[in-house]
Amino acid sequence: MFELGPALHHAFELLRGFAVSHGMSRDAALLLSKIIQANILVLGVAVIPMVLVYAERKVSAFMQARLGPMHVGPWGILQTFADGVKLMLKEDVVPAGADKWVHFLAPVVAVAPVFVCFAPVPFGQGLTPVDLDTGVLFIFAVSGVSTIGILLGGWGSGNKFSMLGGLRAAAQLLSYEIPRVLSVIPVLMWYGSMSLGTIALAQHGRWLGILPKWFIFYPVIGQIAFLIFLISSVAETNRTPFDIPEAESELVAGFHTEFSGLKFALFFLAEYAYVFLASAMGTALFLGGGDGFLLPNGILPSWIWFLLKTFALVFLFLWFRWTYPRLRIDRLMQFCWKFLMPWSFVNIALTGLLVLVRQR
Amino acid sequence: MSPSLSSLVFYAFSAMLVVTAVGVVTLRNVFYSAVSLVAALTIVAGLFVLLGADFLGAAQVLVYVGGILIIMLFVIMLSQQPRDLLQRQTNDQWIAGLFFALTIGVSLVRAFTYFVSQTPPDGDIAPTSASLGRLLLGEMLLPFEAVSLILLAALVGAVVFGQEKNA
Amino acid sequence: MTLYHCIALSGIVFSIGIYGVLTRRNILGILMSIELMFNAANIALVAFNHYLHPGSLWGQGFVLFVIAVAAAEAVVGLSLVLAIYRNIKSVYTENMNLLHG
Repeated sequence: MFELGPALHHAFELLRGFAVSHGMSRDAALLLSKIIQANILVLGVAVIPMVLVYAERKVSAFMQARLGPMHVGPWGILQTFADGVKLMLKEDVVPAGADKWVHFLAPVVAVAPVFVCFAPVPFGQGLTPVDLDTGVLFIFAVSGVSTIGILLGGWGSGNKFSMLGGLRAAAQLLSYEIPRVLSVIPVLMWYGSMSLGTIALAQHGRWLGILPKWFIFYPVIGQIAFLIFLISSVAETNRTPFDIPEAESELVAGFHTEFSGLKFALFFLAEYAYVFLASAMGTALFLGGGDGFLLPNGILPSWIWFLLKTFALVFLFLWFRWTYPRLRIDRLMQFCWKFLMPWSFVNIALTGLLVLVRQR
Repeated sequence: MSPSLSSLVFYAFSAMLVVTAVGVVTLRNVFYSAVSLVAALTIVAGLFVLLGADFLGAAQVLVYVGGILIIMLFVIMLSQQPRDLLQRQTNDQWIAGLFFALTIGVSLVRAFTYFVSQTPPDGDIAPTSASLGRLLLGEMLLPFEAVSLILLAALVGAVVFGQEKNA
Repeated sequence: MTLYHCIALSGIVFSIGIYGVLTRRNILGILMSIELMFNAANIALVAFNHYLHPGSLWGQGFVLFVIAVAAAEAVVGLSLVLAIYRNIKSVYTENMNLLHG
């Protein structure tokens, strides 16, 4: 039992006290500790994709009865690190027909929102970086900005395949954003809050002493909402079976065909960080955040529970990728507009009824 | 946030907003001016948060940057031709337009000196989402429903205009 | 940072938008300038709400309606632009003269 949140809190108290006793003003010390916290968060977000890439290669290898990366470090653990070094040292090629400025701006716009998005995520007890009142809306809003980065990448490359990838990305991401937001509305209605921390805390507790009070276990509404959220999250992160924007067999690699070196690495980082963000959101909204289960209370700290559940959802994402074939673009759009959207509206109406019943 | 820090942020945002807004109306490449508009509207969202409207800031980014501007970039990508970059992007009356805009701008700024003495209200900025929701479904219910009708009409209209055989 | 500064900023951005609407040849540029003017008005509304009526939220509610109407306007406007572009292969306003006689 080791809760990270109070320990970190205490450490920052000590740090502020040290700075103030050495002649720093109280405001400046507060600002300094906030800057350090933000840097820790950014560093964490930058490291997570490396873990995820390794996980993806290993999981896919085991699903295809291969070994995966084995040479760099024990069981190839350092493989992504080596890949990162390779990508950083590579030459940055800008195609002759490309729009230089847009080509430069695209990966930056795609990756910058990711770091901001993790601010309201409750990583465990006392570990929410910024407990925003509009947390869920904030994440949806800011992560939508990355779509512009993909569009810029498609336009700025000066390549018709990239352009097609960018157009497809715009259509797909804009469409799937709608069921994704709608699927979360039942959760917000039920708990009456948009702060991820509040929602995760409200799901602690047991029915009859056994079944956790997580939103996914609420009959009918919980399951529909979770399924729609999961499917549209897979589509939002551009992963197979919804990887139409980068479909390598028809569009070479879509919007990131013409990107190499560090710029390509940034696109990659954004994609995997979004997979982790979607899983973390799913954990906080539907799986009770840092709430433990099966084991008696207090054996594992809340942040370990949170990470365990998040990585279970990440594994689901990887599993989808290596199981389902890619959808055709028209079927993809039909699935969104004619199936996911109506069902999420039905779910909202059902939840409204249940909220009314609860109030009686 | 202390008053001096928030005014510093405000002046930085204002300067960036004016620069990007000028970029929107003067850049020759329409794609560039759309990117400039993305920056401008994001800064406006920041201003909303600074002025105590946290929900509106998020809604602004969600609807404008994540929605309207993506459609706009989409349409620009579909309709721009390479020769557009070689053509003049302003019409013949740009001097008259500049004069008109300057007149309006100067007179607006002069007229607003009426409010020069207003200072920011005391007290911390409270979250607005819950009370905004109550207001929208309470006193503002009729306009709220009217707006949903407008959105439905716009959706149907866009589908009708977008059909291939009507074009 | 007083109310005057916020409203003056809104007025400046509004006049920049007017300049864009009056001088752009490209209809997409005109639409973008209109969005700029909408946002200038929104800044003014939020600023008045914040400074003059800190307890109420009517200004912010109004801004939400402006955002919704702007979304409707942009959707219809852009689909019209696409329909026109399919017919005359141009996005310049002086070429849109089919009813000119």
